[in-house]
Amino acid sequence: MQFFSGSSVVDVSLSPTAPPGTATGHAGNNANVLYIFNRNGICLLYREWHRLLRTLDASQDQKLMFGLLFSLRSFTAKMDPVSADKGNLGVPLLPGQGCSFYSFRTNTYKLSFMESPSGIKLILITHPKTGDHRESLKHIYNLYVEYVVKNPLYVTGTPIKSELFTTNLDQYVKTLI
Amino acid sequence: MGREVAESCIDGVIIEMVSAYGRRFYATKPELAAHRIEAIGYQVGHQLIERYTMERPRFNDHLEVIKFICKDFWQELFKKQIDNLKTNHKGTFVLQDNNFRWLTRISIDPSSDNNDGSQGSSSEATNLLLYFPCGIIRGALSNLGIPCAVSADSSNLPFCSFMVRIKA
Repeated sequence: MQFFSGSSVVDVSLSPTAPPGTATGHAGNNANVLYIFNRNGICLLYREWHRLLRTLDASQDQKLMFGLLFSLRSFTAKMDPVSADKGNLGVPLLPGQGCSFYSFRTNTYKLSFMESPSGIKLILITHPKTGDHRESLKHIYNLYVEYVVKNPLYVTGTPIKSELFTTNLDQYVKTLI
Repeated sequence: MGREVAESCIDGVIIEMVSAYGRRFYATKPELAAHRIEAIGYQVGHQLIERYTMERPRFNDHLEVIKFICKDFWQELFKKQIDNLKTNHKGTFVLQDNNFRWLTRISIDPSSDNNDGSQGSSSEATNLLLYFPCGIIRGALSNLGIPCAVSADSSNLPFCSFMVRIKA
């Protein structure tokens, strides 16, 4: 199964109303890293605000992240004690299938995940004491739709280069708890 | 009367039309693509102005027509009025819109500033997109009996100005 049709890194340093949040903690930004993948595993956006340790080079890092989430989704769907559907292990899941995994937490960070019906995966890494980030991820997805999908100059499936989007994203992330 | 359509649908259709003419049909001849897009705008403007001037009395002079375009027509199309109108009283008018609705989401890639190829193509795409409202204005004015030429300038997105030259 070949999922990686090529990924390239975008290293870049109207809106709908944001859910309330106050900026505390690190100076300025409250999130550490954000990844956006599309359905084929292409990393549309990698944005970091506060990342101290870098172990792999960027494309390896993104492949690892995508692979992790792919496997985690499969795993959570198979181990679900409530669902009646026993699909085959290893078959790729469609965006709506299976229970939706949405975050995991370690002692140093918390990773929040959201997948849209169109296969766009948003991964947000923040400090471990944050609450649930599902609403924030929905808001970021909204920003993506407004400034990227509706941009006449954007070609779907390519890395995001829109200045409007990154500016609004930075502004919004500053307000996250 | 009064059936409604979501604005995202209109946005999508316009984006796709400009991109289809610019990149697929006339990919090697951008002037032809511009001409086609302007012609489509001409038809649209022609028909729209009929609707929006249905109950109005006749216009007395060119300035009144342009003021109608700036206020009522623009309000109907883009939910706001033209912000600034300038004229030289000799048949040239400049309509300035500080936040043109169809340009609000365009964003130029900052890191490709040194690559002239892609910077050129993004401003080309914006220019192609702007031929459509130029055509709308030209169609509207010509249906009111005023032959003219319209051009657009968008050096500073989303600020945009349209220059209307009335043919004497």
